[in-house]
Amino acid sequence: MPGKKEYIRNKKGSNISKIIIDRDLCIGAASCVATSPQTYKLDDENKAVVIDDNAASDEELILAAQSCPTKAIIIIDKSGKQIYP
Amino acid sequence: MQKVKYLIIGGGIAGTTAAETIHQNDRAGSIAIVSEEPYPLYSRIMLSKHNFYLPEGENKIWLKTPDWYAKENIGFLLGRTAIGLDANKKIVRLDNGEEVEYEKLLIATGSCARKWIAPGSDKKGVFSLRVLDDAKAIKEKMKTAKKAVAIGGGFISFEICDIARQFDIDMTLILRESYYWEPILDKNEAAVVEGALAASGVKTIKNTEVSEVVGGELVEGVILKNGSRIDCDMIIAGVGVVCALDWLSGSGLKANRGILANEYLETNFPDIWAAGDVAEFDDLILEERVQLGNWLNARQQGRIAGLNMVGEKTPFLLVTSYSTAGFGITISFIGDVRPSTDRTMISRGDPGSKSRARIIIKDGEIVGATLINLIPELHLMSKLIEINFKVSGHENELADHKFDLKTLIQP
Repeated sequence: MPGKKEYIRNKKGSNISKIIIDRDLCIGAASCVATSPQTYKLDDENKAVVIDDNAASDEELILAAQSCPTKAIIIIDKSGKQIYP
Repeated sequence: MQKVKYLIIGGGIAGTTAAETIHQNDRAGSIAIVSEEPYPLYSRIMLSKHNFYLPEGENKIWLKTPDWYAKENIGFLLGRTAIGLDANKKIVRLDNGEEVEYEKLLIATGSCARKWIAPGSDKKGVFSLRVLDDAKAIKEKMKTAKKAVAIGGGFISFEICDIARQFDIDMTLILRESYYWEPILDKNEAAVVEGALAASGVKTIKNTEVSEVVGGELVEGVILKNGSRIDCDMIIAGVGVVCALDWLSGSGLKANRGILANEYLETNFPDIWAAGDVAEFDDLILEERVQLGNWLNARQQGRIAGLNMVGEKTPFLLVTSYSTAGFGITISFIGDVRPSTDRTMISRGDPGSKSRARIIIKDGEIVGATLINLIPELHLMSKLIEINFKVSGHENELADHKFDLKTLIQP
């Protein structure tokens, strides 16, 4: 399943509205899983997927996105602006 | 002579993250990065991934644009190598004769591919993989190569064999050891990797070495120790990494395999820090001095070194890991995976299954683990390392693949 997968976040008080994973860029290095295990896992194709979009703090989500060696995680804020990368 | 407040040697993920961190915290402080490679920051991990080897693949690796540095007011000395350090005068000498004076210095030069040497190994068609130019050359050669030989069992061989099969190149893997990645993996873990390689058509020859590379100007084959010959038009050697520290000799900077640093990544000189693959640092969680070559480690150390260079006193505290996916399996390394004589090992996993692990224990605590097809246990294993879990009395649980590791971690 190629392409981008979007996850909507409704966490109260969070400034992040959406997590997008670019599956074509994801290489399964699992840096996101290591940084935010409550948010990410690798699926059967060894691509990152979000298991809980509301579990982690904003800070942890940004750190996990920044840890990705291929910039496969895109973070969108409440106003719809891309805040990472 | 150029003078900067913060001088960073090394333009990889550690050095660039440090520069970014410094700039966020000291807007007025001048920063310069010296980078041996003539490129802005790219993802080194991508050099051994499928995406890079696709047409247009090179466009997918960039993490910074060429104009980012100027926009952030970070000086960027591309294609320059540091060749000398005067730690007392606080001056770094570059290969073009230029000298740069610093107030604070970060060394984040990473590591280089260890040169594979055999008679004839200087022929055209012998490659190693560490920097972008290496990867470009390999990619170009793969377009026409028919038969290739990979030397050494490790991440590079695993990933490069996977890519070569994508190009339909006939692959033979030569191992000096008796099984794949001995002794870093255990035999059962290695069997899963070897099975995956074989299923994809990679031939593995163990317990042998290349005694000679044959051919004219170009590689035509290799002769093994037992005299047998394998024809090939390409050789890729992945025989480990070394840090280039020659330029520091005589500087008084203490080094072993890497540059010695404490938990704040400070070296024995008060204004010099080390970060990333080149740092041999005091890891407070592992309770040992260790050198780790992975992306997460390099990135986070760049951040910590940057913070400490602007005046904070933050220790490096992170259990780092690296995973790779290929041939339908995953391999993960967490923490310090060296099975040295001062450690004990516990193998985990169903002997018949393709999911295996080995846990490395030192002084009664877990310091590292290798996982095959066990990404779901990656963070649990990291957590057990982080909380200094006492193994005593839990050996059987750790060895039992049906036992849920989560129950060992207090909420």
